[in-house]
Amino acid sequence: MADASSSRRAVSAQGHQASLVSDNAGPSHAQESAPAIDAPAHANLPLRRSRHAVGGVQAKMHDITEKFTRASLEVGQLVKDEYFTLFESIGAIEIMDPKMDSGFLQPGETLEDDYDTLTPLLPEELIGIMDQLLCYEMAWHTGYPLSQTLFTSVHIVKLVWTEATVLGPQFYRGEIPEHRRPGPLLEVLRAYCLAVIKGCDFVIAKITGRDYFEEEDFCTHIYNRVLLVSVPIDVFLRELDAAIEVIEDPESEINDGVRKAISARLALRKDYLRALDLDLPLNQTSYCWPPILQGIATLKNTHQLGQSVPGAFSSKMQRRLASTVPPRPIVELDFKDALQKLQHIAADCEEATRFIALPQDPLEYQSFLWHFASRSPPPLAYARAYLSTLLFHPDNLNTSVSLPLSDVKTLVFPASPVLDSMNWTFSPPRSPLLPKPPRLQFAMLMDEFVERTGQPFLDLWVALGQNRCRLRRMLTHVITAWDLLQTDAALIDTDISSAAEELGIGEQVMEFSLSTWVYHKKLWMIEKVVLLGFEQDIYLPDEFAGMYLFLSLIATRRKELLKRVEAHYLVQANLFLTSRKLREAQEIDDAGLYLDSLLAEAEGTASLALALARFYILLLYLGLLPLPKRPFGTEALRYELRMKPFLSLSPPEAPAFEDFRTHTQPYGSPSSPSTAFFEAVGKADSELWAEVDGHVKAAKAAFAEYKKMGVVAAKAEGVEKAWGKEVQSALASCVALGVAVAGVKDMVVKKGMDGGKEGWGMKVEVPEAGTGKRYAEGWVVVKTHKE
Amino acid sequence: MDNEQATIWLSQFIGKNLRIHASDGRVFGGQMKCTDKDRNIILALAHEYRAPSPESIRQTVEETGYPSASVAWSSRYVGLVVVPGQHITKIEFEESVLPGQKSMVTL
Repeated sequence: MADASSSRRAVSAQGHQASLVSDNAGPSHAQESAPAIDAPAHANLPLRRSRHAVGGVQAKMHDITEKFTRASLEVGQLVKDEYFTLFESIGAIEIMDPKMDSGFLQPGETLEDDYDTLTPLLPEELIGIMDQLLCYEMAWHTGYPLSQTLFTSVHIVKLVWTEATVLGPQFYRGEIPEHRRPGPLLEVLRAYCLAVIKGCDFVIAKITGRDYFEEEDFCTHIYNRVLLVSVPIDVFLRELDAAIEVIEDPESEINDGVRKAISARLALRKDYLRALDLDLPLNQTSYCWPPILQGIATLKNTHQLGQSVPGAFSSKMQRRLASTVPPRPIVELDFKDALQKLQHIAADCEEATRFIALPQDPLEYQSFLWHFASRSPPPLAYARAYLSTLLFHPDNLNTSVSLPLSDVKTLVFPASPVLDSMNWTFSPPRSPLLPKPPRLQFAMLMDEFVERTGQPFLDLWVALGQNRCRLRRMLTHVITAWDLLQTDAALIDTDISSAAEELGIGEQVMEFSLSTWVYHKKLWMIEKVVLLGFEQDIYLPDEFAGMYLFLSLIATRRKELLKRVEAHYLVQANLFLTSRKLREAQEIDDAGLYLDSLLAEAEGTASLALALARFYILLLYLGLLPLPKRPFGTEALRYELRMKPFLSLSPPEAPAFEDFRTHTQPYGSPSSPSTAFFEAVGKADSELWAEVDGHVKAAKAAFAEYKKMGVVAAKAEGVEKAWGKEVQSALASCVALGVAVAGVKDMVVKKGMDGGKEGWGMKVEVPEAGTGKRYAEGWVVVKTHKE
Repeated sequence: MDNEQATIWLSQFIGKNLRIHASDGRVFGGQMKCTDKDRNIILALAHEYRAPSPESIRQTVEETGYPSASVAWSSRYVGLVVVPGQHITKIEFEESVLPGQKSMVTL
């Protein structure tokens, strides 16, 4: 975000400073301090005085070693900058400590790497280096810095080090004798490396152009080098074409298999570079990823032809990079894994390109974003940046109707006079003292609302573009913003109502329409936050009951809100039918589809959550759930912690703790339940069991209904498959819950409570998140085992 | 120099540019932030300078044919560093004054 981009600026500013210092101070200093330094003295060569004049300011050097040493301080006394804190000092790199100081040389070790980039290569070695580069590139994509990955390649570093010449970056500097000139294979490697470097440049530009978190999602440090940023893409494509020509030249003595392998690598690189291009027109994006997916297979089959060149990669490179961190080892990624990552990126990006073809509907966009973020394995930083670049592309955002407005219209203003386009054609009366016509007021109020809602709306989308963990955390902040929006919306609502009264169409405008829309979105986000909490294993098994109860409470609220909208639709539709306005009646009907779908989904969520809550309460009382010891925690504090993101909301969403406890612990403390519980749990037909079964059944029916209404009604056409899978897994969770409930019930009823837990011989297993043991990650259904 | 004098004398270098020579020949230039009894010195915004290796000097001379060819020191940004007192061989104070301006530091 803003921080990240400013930090990038800071880095480059420092880089600038670095070059200033080395130009002016470095060499002059070298001359003065030469006697103190061993290395040049050994060399026994004269050092020249640099004649750089430092503009105006004279830097004078004073040797203060002796006096500095004599100045005696007491033990523990520090002479320091008053703003310099101990905390900051911890971050300092200790010089001469081999673990901290990346510039420290072991005795006899040299700084320069002894690998010569002009060493001729065998074709097999060329494959080896190419594949190794791909491994490092992919490791970089997963979040490691360049210094531990691609910048360990002697070849790459040489290319980004040298000043670009007329011939472009080369593996050598200055003039070299003819016989030392790189051979054709080295030229091929050079073309490949250049394309890799340009690819990195594109990737960094794309990621930094969007919301990302430096060093958490991705590491954009380029250590004060320039990744050929000013060279246009066709230069690289031409180099690659030339390289392919060189390789495919039948005169060259390369074995055919190897030749094809090299050729395939160059071709894939070319496709990949094209796909990464920032200026690729939108209508071409969807064609650029499939070739990469096809090319990966050839690489996999020919990897064994390669021969590694260990000397071509060295961690010593880190010593020359601007580096404020301790030395770190090179990150090794298997070639197999690297290909998998590449495929992962290409597949996610290909999926993202489908965004362009979506119908222009913010709700479709929302579904797409949600399901894209839910992809497993989760999309990498690049793929996420790729999608949000498409999302925030001017062609997508500059629609004729504002996106938030069309979202509002779908839910609360279908065929409503408030959004009649006529309203925007009125001009205000000349005298500001005269009242404005009510229709004009509608238009102005809506414009005001759309403007107010823009930022929170974008925030929601930005959050949906993050990885899952951050999505959960960011949503809690977005919710707060929407809470404020709701208050403002309520004010606009009253003005809309009075304008409607003035027009005499009060019954055509639902009371608090805008705040209903905001509230609905807010409740939806709260549900997602809780579900994501389950998905990420935030809650412990003994908290499940409480959190599902809360989820069910929120979903029920959302359902009731939707019911109100439904009632309004009915009134509207009747009005239109009686007044023979068939087109408007049809519009209401169409909107009703989406509303019904929302209702079914809210109903399903509420019922399944309630069923799970009741079931987990039961398990807790039966002692089948692990109860961790918490010597320093109290239930009230834990509850406050869980509800923290929702405590400030109005209307209040989190129930008071007392209330919460009565509902989650209806039979007293879980360790010593009241006798009423034992009586109820022992009977198969008691209300306790009937209630759980009833909610499971209701949830199943609601999700089945939701599924039947389909993807069009749910406004998720763009992600039909993912949507279907999500609904299916919710249904599967219902079924699994039914099975688990029946298992526990049979056991308890058959064997009775007398034998206790040991007598049942039953174990309850809580499936872990992310291991594929849950039907839906957010719906945790226990598995029961007989022992 | 007693403790009070020493403290005052050292304090003048806070925030000033120092060049510290380490026992392995590297030089660190940066703003002094902090020092203590053991002469450990913390530099902020520091750069590391390293003399070219004899090998690379020889190579340059061979390649260019000039015995007095210039070989650049390598430098890089290292940020906040602490140079332990026992590794310090020389401390230099880099004073930038405009022509005619009087020095503000007692050496």
